[in-house]
Amino acid sequence: MTPELQERIEQIASRYPSRRSALLPALHLVQRESNGYVDGAQLAAVAELIGVPVSEAFGVQSYYTMFERRPVGKFHLQVDTNIPAMLAGAEEIVAQLERSLDIRVGETTPDGLFTLSTVECLASCGTCPVIQVNDGYYESMTPQRTDALIASLRRGVLPDLPVQANFGSVCNVLLKRRGTPNATSLAVYRQTGGYRALPIALAKKPAEIVAEVKASNIRGRGGAGFPAGVKWSFLAKNTGKPTYLICNADEGEPGTFKDRQIMEYDPHLLIEGMTIAGYAIGANLGFIYIRGEFAWIAAILEKAIAEARQAGMLGRDILGRGFDYDLVVHVGAGAYVCGEETALIESLEGKRGNPRLKPPFPAVVGLYGCPTIVNNVETLASVPFIVEHGAAAFMHIGTANNFGPKIFGISGHVRRPGTYEYPLGTPLATLLDAAGGVDGRLKAVIVGGLSVPILTAAEAEGLIMDYDSCLKSGTMLGSGGIMVMNESTSIPRVALRAIRFYAHESCGQCTPCRQGSHTVATLLDKVVAGRGTLADLDLVVRLCRTIKGTTLCPTGEAFATPIEAMVTKFRDEFAALVR
Amino acid sequence: MQLTVDGRKIDAVAGQTVLEAARAAGIYIPALCYHPKTGKAGRCRACVVEIEGMRGLKEACAQEVRDGMVVHTDTDRVQQTRRLVVDLLLAEGHHNCISCQANGTCELQEMAYRIGVERPAFLIETEPAPLDVSSEGIVREADKCIQCGRCVLACQNHVVNEVLAFGYRGSHAAVVCDDDRPMGESSCVLCGECVQVCPVGALVLKQPREAKVRPSETVATKVTCPFCGVGCQIDLHTKDNRYVFAMAHEGQWLKQPNRGSLCVKGRFGLDFIDAPDRLRTPLVRKDGELVEASWDEALDLVAAGLKQAKDKYGPDSVGFFTSAKVTNEENYALGRLARAVIGTNNIDHCARL
Ligand SMILES: Cc1cc2nc3c(=O)[nH]c(=O)nc-3n(C[C@H](O)[C@H](O)[C@H](O)COP(=O)(O)O)c2cc1C
Ligand code: SF4
Ligand code: SF4
Ligand code: SF4
Ligand code: FES
Repeated sequence: MTPELQERIEQIASRYPSRRSALLPALHLVQRESNGYVDGAQLAAVAELIGVPVSEAFGVQSYYTMFERRPVGKFHLQVDTNIPAMLAGAEEIVAQLERSLDIRVGETTPDGLFTLSTVECLASCGTCPVIQVNDGYYESMTPQRTDALIASLRRGVLPDLPVQANFGSVCNVLLKRRGTPNATSLAVYRQTGGYRALPIALAKKPAEIVAEVKASNIRGRGGAGFPAGVKWSFLAKNTGKPTYLICNADEGEPGTFKDRQIMEYDPHLLIEGMTIAGYAIGANLGFIYIRGEFAWIAAILEKAIAEARQAGMLGRDILGRGFDYDLVVHVGAGAYVCGEETALIESLEGKRGNPRLKPPFPAVVGLYGCPTIVNNVETLASVPFIVEHGAAAFMHIGTANNFGPKIFGISGHVRRPGTYEYPLGTPLATLLDAAGGVDGRLKAVIVGGLSVPILTAAEAEGLIMDYDSCLKSGTMLGSGGIMVMNESTSIPRVALRAIRFYAHESCGQCTPCRQGSHTVATLLDKVVAGRGTLADLDLVVRLCRTIKGTTLCPTGEAFATPIEAMVTKFRDEFAALVR
Repeated sequence: MQLTVDGRKIDAVAGQTVLEAARAAGIYIPALCYHPKTGKAGRCRACVVEIEGMRGLKEACAQEVRDGMVVHTDTDRVQQTRRLVVDLLLAEGHHNCISCQANGTCELQEMAYRIGVERPAFLIETEPAPLDVSSEGIVREADKCIQCGRCVLACQNHVVNEVLAFGYRGSHAAVVCDDDRPMGESSCVLCGECVQVCPVGALVLKQPREAKVRPSETVATKVTCPFCGVGCQIDLHTKDNRYVFAMAHEGQWLKQPNRGSLCVKGRFGLDFIDAPDRLRTPLVRKDGELVEASWDEALDLVAAGLKQAKDKYGPDSVGFFTSAKVTNEENYALGRLARAVIGTNNIDHCARL
């Protein structure tokens, strides 16, 4: 390793309270500097520099999908084939690429120019199919655009292929600046009403902010819907240890592409929210854990943070109020389970993303063993509104116990897939209309990201999109990622693709999830291939039912629940495939 | 304090887990990933129980006892989970107890037997993984690994050799040596701690495996390791009064000088016991040939020689060299012999070389 590289790793390490946290960034860095992969010798050098055993460094490297251990082509084409992509025709794009590059998925062209891979959901569900080429995204890929991309790459040029993403907002809180040019700059953010909440917050006592957020009843937007103010009040006090705030920007739940809208187009909103939240909970350091595939969005955040620091909105003595606070952007490396808060903390500590046993909860023992609050991007980005306009104004939006605005990501068979900010409690029908209406006849819909039970068209009739109503209707609001399927959709194929995702992403720690997801995937593979039996279908349902509630983290439930729903609700379609 | 397990009142002490308390009271709760030396891991899910007042299933290995706690291990939910765990672990591990080194001592086999699993509910066809026989003392059979993580925790935290770790993830997750190389080419120092804690036949000692003697057939005798003064407590496993292998004695492991672990010498160095060329009597050189002699004859010869040297050339013409293989008391006695009887300070110890 060159001294310059060592120096850069040292610099990264100095940002963290613990050196080991630099392991993931160091591996990213070395990989980028050495033709896209890190071999055993380089790994050993990184391990020694950071001070971890080679075995553990390998454990980390081989856990995350974005770390390559063997040479890859100059252009690594990674096609998202998860459900929203599948509904948008990603499989045809893969076939097209296989034909035009004359290689199969997983192979590299003999000239070393291209490697073709399929990957899990890239959080571009509204602009699918999407191909990630090295660190960048190519969205809304049609066969023509794909040809143009390949032609350009053959000339060695990463082309500029503009994307037209759909969006809409009736609340103008979270997507307020979505259409405003240059909204990522501090100046525009300010001109459009930004950084008004921060001085208000810093003029109050932290406990008053916590009380206000509690009073707003805002429920966490990461999926579980736990009230944020209540979570903040669980923080262990007087521990003599620092308190940390972590923003969960992993956005890995298939069908979810909402947090990205905030970070990409309105990063200062998140920064302001995190600064206020940090002040409220007594943190002096906050982290944004962003998924590795979003490295280019991390760059937008870094730039905004630097700007905010320059303007005295971050760093020492913010706004002259004696509050010190800074933010570190930590880039993941390809692991869905790292969205689970304790796995995220492990990953941030430079380890494999294995969820921890709970209790203790992060609010008591979190990052580096210190009290830690983990909140979703959308949750934290809602905080400035609550502070500026008050809890009552927030509760003016939405329905009882389900207050506030929510970004719904709508993908699949609708005419204008995209992100739409509506009050919680909006009927599903209204959202589908906003997204241009269903393309064809509705067959089924998954309304809260892949991990919630699917609804048939009949069940989705009259559905109200908030936490409590969804629960009453036998599903969950989850992340608000809505995947719409028309009658051309094969539910068995959706189920197979879904379980393959979970089997691929299971951290592998606990028996029911590791072996269970793999077994269910094997069984559904048989069924879809026409080699299965009715007994296999029964076994799938039995396994799903038993697995629920037996796993270490909620991931077991996250696959058992939706797969069980698909197989039971569309049983005839599965049964028609058995031999 | 007291808790109730399946209607039975049992005593427990604060800080104990439900599993520890139940075990102490002789109540069976399976536990495949927990080991006293490596602690709770929450990985296998075999130990889950229901506790009144708590939602869902709880890990008995991680749950601390509270006074008046009411625990159920006999509910349908718990039984189904145990069955699920065993079925899933047996589905593609190519488990064939007939030929397995761990047969009779395997904790998975024991669990399957105790909960009444006669055959796995389903099998998933896969190609068997190759054995790793590269190490001099340990055979690794990845297929049988149930991913309990004991070996990893033991290697990383207990003996701190930092060789084993989990690599990859999901159903591909596997125990790896360093950067996933054969054990024999890794930084493994052959302490054998991983074999000691492995609950199944995934990590076994090579020599007994080749000699076709299973741990279930041997008799363990607690002995003190002869190699150094630490005084490691060893369970010497013998069959027909012949040495087969050594395990660290784990009873009250925290009170043992070796905390239930061994080094390469104690683990693999005791095969001299039954070696045919092992010295059994003193040898004395007569006419240039070493011949067997009695202790009296040999000691008389040594005493006479030492005396002669001292008389002729002075006490400092004699030197003593002692060993880490004897006890402190024996080393002290030799010091007295050198200083008080011979009158020299020429005494040293092999550990200084
Ligand atoms: C497998 C799994 C994946 C998750 N992924 C995410 C994610 O990508 N983003 C997120 O904010 N929360 C995710 N969560 C939920 C987090 O654990 C946590 O509840 C959330 O970040 C808390 O933030 P909130 O209270 O603001 O919603 C995930 C949970 C699980 C079990
Ligand atoms: S449920 Fe799955 S993801 Fe969660 S700890 Fe267990 S194996 Fe890991
Ligand atoms: S590891 Fe245990 S269950 Fe598996 S074959 Fe050996 S004895 Fe049987
Ligand atoms: S090798 Fe043995 S101790 Fe190690 S994880 Fe596998 S089963 Fe557990
Ligand atoms: S012994 Fe408790 S989870 Fe394995």
